[in-house]
Amino acid sequence: MKIKRRDFLKASVAAGAAVAANGPTLNAFAMGQKGGAIGETAGDWKPSSCQGCTTWCPVEIFVQNGRAVKVRGNQYSKQNDGFVCSKGHISLQQLYDPDRVKVPMKRTNLKKGRGIDPKFVPISWDEALNTIADRMMELRKTGDPEKFLLMRGRYTYMRDTLYSALPKVFGSPNSISHSSICAEADKFGSYFTEGLWDYRDYDLSHSKYVVLWGMDPISSNRMIPASIKRFGDVLDNATVVAVDPRLSTAAAKAHEWLPVLPGTDGALASAIAHVILKEGLWHKEFVGDFKDGKNRFRTGKTVAASTFAEKETNGVVAWWNIELKNKTPGWAAKITGVPSKKITAVARGLGKAAPHAIVWLGPGAAMHVRGGYTAMAIHALNGLLGSIDNKGGVMPSAKVPVKKIPKYSKYQDELAKKHSKKQKIDQRGYLTFPALKKGKSGGGVVTNNVAQAILDKDPNEIKVAIGYMNNFVFSSTGTGRWEKALEKIPFFAHLTTNASEMTQYADIVLPCAITKYEKLGFLKTKANGYATCTLVQPVVKPLWDVKMDETEIPWLLAEKLKERGFSNLYDYYKNEFKDPETGKKPANGREFTEYSLKIMTAPLWDGKKDVGGDTIKGWEEFKKRGMWNSSHYKYKKRWGGKFGKDSVDKKTGKTKTKGTKTHKFEFYSETLKEALGKHAKKHKTTVNGVLKACNYTARDERAFVPHYEPPYRRGSKKRYPFVFIDYKSKLSREGRSQNTPWFQEFKHVDPGDQGWQDLLKINPKDAKRLKIKDGDTVKVTSTVASIVVTAKLWEGIRPGTVSKAYGQGHWAYGRVAAENYDAAVPRGGNNNTIMPADYERLSGSTARNGGFTGVRIQKV
Amino acid sequence: MNRYAMVIDLQKCTSCGACAIACKTENNTPNRSKGQTFNWADYIHEAKGRFPNMEFRTIPVLCNHCSDAPCVEVCPVTPKAMFKTKDGITMHNDERCIGCRRCQRACPYSAQDVDKDKAAYSVISFNDASSEPHGFYRDTKELIKGCTASGKEIAKKAGSLPPDHNRYSHQDYESVRRKGIVEKCIFCEHRVKKGDQPYCVASCPAKARVFGDVNDKKSDVSRLIKKYRPLSLKNNKGAFLKDQEKGTRPHVYYVRSFKARPSKA
Repeated sequence: MKIKRRDFLKASVAAGAAVAANGPTLNAFAMGQKGGAIGETAGDWKPSSCQGCTTWCPVEIFVQNGRAVKVRGNQYSKQNDGFVCSKGHISLQQLYDPDRVKVPMKRTNLKKGRGIDPKFVPISWDEALNTIADRMMELRKTGDPEKFLLMRGRYTYMRDTLYSALPKVFGSPNSISHSSICAEADKFGSYFTEGLWDYRDYDLSHSKYVVLWGMDPISSNRMIPASIKRFGDVLDNATVVAVDPRLSTAAAKAHEWLPVLPGTDGALASAIAHVILKEGLWHKEFVGDFKDGKNRFRTGKTVAASTFAEKETNGVVAWWNIELKNKTPGWAAKITGVPSKKITAVARGLGKAAPHAIVWLGPGAAMHVRGGYTAMAIHALNGLLGSIDNKGGVMPSAKVPVKKIPKYSKYQDELAKKHSKKQKIDQRGYLTFPALKKGKSGGGVVTNNVAQAILDKDPNEIKVAIGYMNNFVFSSTGTGRWEKALEKIPFFAHLTTNASEMTQYADIVLPCAITKYEKLGFLKTKANGYATCTLVQPVVKPLWDVKMDETEIPWLLAEKLKERGFSNLYDYYKNEFKDPETGKKPANGREFTEYSLKIMTAPLWDGKKDVGGDTIKGWEEFKKRGMWNSSHYKYKKRWGGKFGKDSVDKKTGKTKTKGTKTHKFEFYSETLKEALGKHAKKHKTTVNGVLKACNYTARDERAFVPHYEPPYRRGSKKRYPFVFIDYKSKLSREGRSQNTPWFQEFKHVDPGDQGWQDLLKINPKDAKRLKIKDGDTVKVTSTVASIVVTAKLWEGIRPGTVSKAYGQGHWAYGRVAAENYDAAVPRGGNNNTIMPADYERLSGSTARNGGFTGVRIQKV
Repeated sequence: MNRYAMVIDLQKCTSCGACAIACKTENNTPNRSKGQTFNWADYIHEAKGRFPNMEFRTIPVLCNHCSDAPCVEVCPVTPKAMFKTKDGITMHNDERCIGCRRCQRACPYSAQDVDKDKAAYSVISFNDASSEPHGFYRDTKELIKGCTASGKEIAKKAGSLPPDHNRYSHQDYESVRRKGIVEKCIFCEHRVKKGDQPYCVASCPAKARVFGDVNDKKSDVSRLIKKYRPLSLKNNKGAFLKDQEKGTRPHVYYVRSFKARPSKA
């Protein structure tokens, strides 16, 4: 049968409708034959930065006629070489999300709670800001500004104008970041060994052996496109081992997958260290050697420290004597479920490849109740291998020489000075929350404890709270506590793009510009030995009346506070943020934004000083390029005793150390010894007392060396026989992409997952016993709550453990994320609902890995 | 004469999802509906073995631009709506398509309804004749009345439907296809003709996808095909053509293995 289109249309009822397509673009007849015109409609690639994960990629966005249509990496970038991962592309659907809040909103239903409709109505920016300013001023009038709380979520480095300055000038200590809900225990590992409170960079291109420990660099973590680009070649050039209780993509591709029993990673690390020392495989150039060259590390035998001459490290013999001497692969095999032969093979492989070897510590191994020492144990292997700062090894970021915001202390009045020094609401520094960021008791944030502190009104009540680009009621474990806490706060304003779970508790909602497309700011990032400063720029005009959370909104709020007789914040913003080129004072929030950005990034483009890296001639060129690459990090930069540096405090005359106390890479951590000692002294107890209060088993000298701690579990094995594993999706833009159809559609790029589903992976052996079939609806119950999800029979998970990706389970946010927004019915279940709120207390981290959540599974 | 083909290096592929989503941004394909995926690029996954010796791999999939293309063979209109270009691309002309869906039935890599057929993917998708495409951006529902937007409002404000519509021109196909016709990967000919790579290739952060002319012995695709033993898919269930088996003479080749070869340690 031969048919011509014309004939077919005549006969077809559908023909009429085909012509009546809405809008200018869909009329097939108008656009049909164009006589050979081929190609893309003209547009511009405009630079900005992606904040879908913490890689913070420099990107470019293709803009056609004012619309963002495509995304790629910044062509100048030495970090992603011009490419983005899937998350970069997904963000377009966040920009054009139908469920974006387009105007400020006011709550009209005073009753708050999950599933209770706030009955939001639209209001003007003026009314919204007046309301917030009124509530804030009440606290100043009653003399207790510390009852004001500012909670931060996803930020740019413009953060300090809001996050630091606003509460401090107002008079509250309570600026609370989100940092410790995902990874501070990871930094604990590198700080108390090499003095680095940061994430490391990994030289994948030159490595001969790569152990990916509790993370998957091609799916998540902090250098995704860089890792994706290199991974195929790394598989040729190096041996790749993935240590992960579940089969990640990296594990599926690796030479070896070691499905360690959750939380026992420390035993594996100790055994690897044992073999490296026993077999003389450590990197002598870094660690040093026995004075007579004879290896005395023998299983079960104590070694005299005097026989060993260390070079760049401190306490290798002490570590052996205190922790390692009996930690054989046989011992570890029983604990970890990893066969001893494989442990030995990995240790030997690493030793042979040293110093061009990477042990990549990830949050999976660190973010659990006893994960601080695990993080140290894993990271310390890099010390033994001499891969620290070495080619094909592990290194810190090169410097990004940007400036801080101008000082605000002279704008603090007496009330502000006094009250902003009060104890912060998160209880950091309490006996049970050492939060030893950079060695300081209470130096770090304990984000997730804020919910409890609000409920307990300890250290004080919170009366007025603002949250921006955060969703703690979804993103923090023990979500039930946040629901209760948010019900209690008398006034809460949420700065957000979507009506998220947290927004449901808000009295006022301010619609925010979306980072990457509508904001102005900057980020610092790193990969492949290069540090990067990359601008976030408004590449399109917002469709709605939204404003920039970190700069524009505080400016407007400062104006409102000034109208009410408190002008200090406004004066600070106005007087201190002059355009560094013209000296002009900002006249509005937009100018304030641009001038603060110029002030902070000036060293990169003002040409006053050679800062290395890319040469950028002026502000306009910087905006046009969108980024700056540093020079490559100098290998072995900190070798020669530069892992710490002393300086004398001018005021107190006391010596302060930045980095490690011994200035060496510490296997015996004098730095941790001092930090724990100070915290103990503050609470009139001993280091052992601190460890006990923090749920650690170590006592005495073990507290100062990387060591194995048995996993801590919530829920008895009898009542909660399974261990629950939470992991990150390749497509999850930190829990913000679930309202995009593309996230849902391609969810199956995570091994074992399916599109539009939230699957609990269970080993077929366990499923058979429980009579659970693929696709069955199951209830997962922990000691705190239950969720109902779909079962997936999956061999990529060990019997006795179950796993599920973080991200689904939204009961608000939007029409795609939630199964039913109006009725607050979630799509799937939120892992944070069943994971109890617990902590790696030494770092203040929220526990979410290491299998600390016991669950039971029931077919529904 | 050119004969375009694609080689996908599975060792380099990390199944990150960038190619398939980038394709959606390039070609403005709608969201899945009524058994049609509209994913010109997609993935299939295979798992075998028991814990802990489990093996898993992902295979990125797209139109195979076959030399013996059944979709072309069965196209009933004159001249054919589905046809081969002189460069070997299986091209679709929107104007001539009558939406009979014979191509979809004939293609070994397609399903008429992926849900009913339990198919992992379909190369050819059909734009339902009863509703306009991109229904997501036609929906007038506001979750919070007067406060949040709707799909329709976003599209209207942005001035395009979909709002992220990447506009391009081509003599055979539209940048958004109308209702009542089929659509599929056309190797981004609107880019290739301009000297650019298909967008899935240009967007692959792993550089796992290589596009080029197999008639040119010096091209990267020819080099890879010569260097490695290339495989091609037989159907949309993940089966590969055996040696000597020609199938429909597909021109998407897979080389190397998703999983690394055995450990050197």
